[in-house]
Amino acid sequence: MISYDRQAGGSRPLPACPTPPEQQLTPLDTALSVSGLRKSYGDRQVLKGVDFAVAPGELVVLLGANGSGKSTALRCVVGLAEADAGEIRLAGRRLRGLGGAELAKARRAAAMVFQQIHLVRRRSALDNVCAGGLAGLPLSRSLAPAFFPRELRERAMACLQRVGLADRAHDRAGSLSGGQQQRVAVARALCQGAEVLLADEPVSALDPAAATQVMALLAELARRDGLAVAAVLHQPDLAREHADRVIGLVDGEIRLSCHASALSESDIDALYQSEDS
Amino acid sequence: MTTTERPRVPVPARDRKPFYLGVVVVAVVLGAAHVGAWRVTEFSPGALVDGWHGMIRFLGEALPPDLDWASVVQPGLEACLTTLAIGLLGTTLSVPAALLLAVLGTRGRNRVVYQVSRSVMSLLRAVPDVVFALIFVTAVGLGPFAGVLALICHNVGVMGKLWSEAMEEVDPGPADALRVAGARESQVVANAVLPAVVPSLVGLLLYRFDVNVRSSLVLGLVGAGGVGFLINQSIQLFAFDEMATYILMVLVLIIAVDLLSAAVRRRLAE
Ligand SMILES: Nc1ncnc2c1ncn2[C@@H]1O[C@H](COP(=O)(O)OP(=O)(O)OP(=O)(O)O)[C@@H](O)[C@H]1O
Ligand SMILES: [Mg+2]
Repeated sequence: MISYDRQAGGSRPLPACPTPPEQQLTPLDTALSVSGLRKSYGDRQVLKGVDFAVAPGELVVLLGANGSGKSTALRCVVGLAEADAGEIRLAGRRLRGLGGAELAKARRAAAMVFQQIHLVRRRSALDNVCAGGLAGLPLSRSLAPAFFPRELRERAMACLQRVGLADRAHDRAGSLSGGQQQRVAVARALCQGAEVLLADEPVSALDPAAATQVMALLAELARRDGLAVAAVLHQPDLAREHADRVIGLVDGEIRLSCHASALSESDIDALYQSEDS
Repeated sequence: MTTTERPRVPVPARDRKPFYLGVVVVAVVLGAAHVGAWRVTEFSPGALVDGWHGMIRFLGEALPPDLDWASVVQPGLEACLTTLAIGLLGTTLSVPAALLLAVLGTRGRNRVVYQVSRSVMSLLRAVPDVVFALIFVTAVGLGPFAGVLALICHNVGVMGKLWSEAMEEVDPGPADALRVAGARESQVVANAVLPAVVPSLVGLLLYRFDVNVRSSLVLGLVGAGGVGFLINQSIQLFAFDEMATYILMVLVLIIAVDLLSAAVRRRLAE
């Protein structure tokens, strides 16, 4: 049973932030649940037993100072980093114990977008979106966009339409604005067919208008399309505006978990207060 | 003057003393190396000054160049085409093997595969194309074919190395994004790595074509056909005026290839 109670064992008193009762989710309700996640780089413990969960239909925002381990937590979920310990469930499946093709298949339930967007700039928006759906295609159909099956191209077109960029399908990705590129990246994640969408600082490089647009899109993907969305942000105001819940990380531990509407200034100050100040 | 004068602030002393001894040691070692090199190469400006009339005689025989169409210019032009053809085939036919070794020899893959392909490339690079040419001449006889084979072998090593370095420099982000989406390694290479590096790979390919045309001249000197072969022949027959014609042709050929590849590379870089 996962609860969003304050984490025990923190060295600092937790902010008074009530846990919403309706958020007492069981692993079966959640699309993503992480418990006891630990990760060290060399001697440096980056994640010290992190628990959190995201249910279908909600947008959870992760806040925390630079280096608190937010990116590492997301990278462990999608397999870009290897967790030392802990349990990850994606779409009801435990990742531990799975290997090879089964693990790859289970991991496909989570898609990710990045601050640096990571599109192939020379390719068209549509071709970039198609690349999200390559898994399972034979190599002969995936060597170049010209060989992509029509079914994939049409699915990708639907994803582009979902993010409002159907009319830019054939434009080079590099020629789009930052906000448009990030929406193409979201479409690529959608084309993967994942139930869980992770976003690592998706709006940090965008201007305020584009940032609001992308955050509104993520919130809509949660509420209308029923995705479980977790986004790392550095803007508490955007979190208040768009998120359902907010989770705060301090030095690799979760120190805060509350309704976005209940997020107070003192909670935020506690998150960004550095140890040595 | 509207700029405000800032007060001076003394520079705080640094803990670490500059390491003068190290500078002195490096200077002494470098100096000794150059003195040694001077001796080993029998470097002697005096000999050059004393022998100037040898050079004048040589140039006198070489000038004016022999421009007889049937016996010199026409065979020379044909040989230039052969030289160009050796360089072209030697470059193009080395593409598949170079690409494979470059992909396998990019850091971040299986360590054994990485080390093996790096070693193969180093070996091919370490053996000069002239040596490869001498080896292949024993197999397929004198002629341009031996030259092509030699260029392929050497060029696979060099171009594979250049290409794998270009691939290592590429931003790993798009590749990570596709890995998260469940793409296999071959799909990641085809859809994230290659599209990002193809312009620089083509640029390096053109640069190698340029170098290979020049190498095929040298290969001609050891019997692999082309205009280099004619130069060698005319020197052996003391026909220095013929040789001068061929060298002029080579100059034109090399400048043309150089300009062409530079122009294409400039277009690609835009
Ligand atoms: N590949 C790595 N190798 C070594 N240390 C790493 C690696 N990745 C992250 N770290 C370290 O882990 C710690 C947490 O990094 P992480 O990127 O998760 O922080 P973050 O919360 O995302 O910070 P930011 O807000 O700056 O993105 C940092 O101290 C970082 O130096
Ligand atoms: Mg980060």
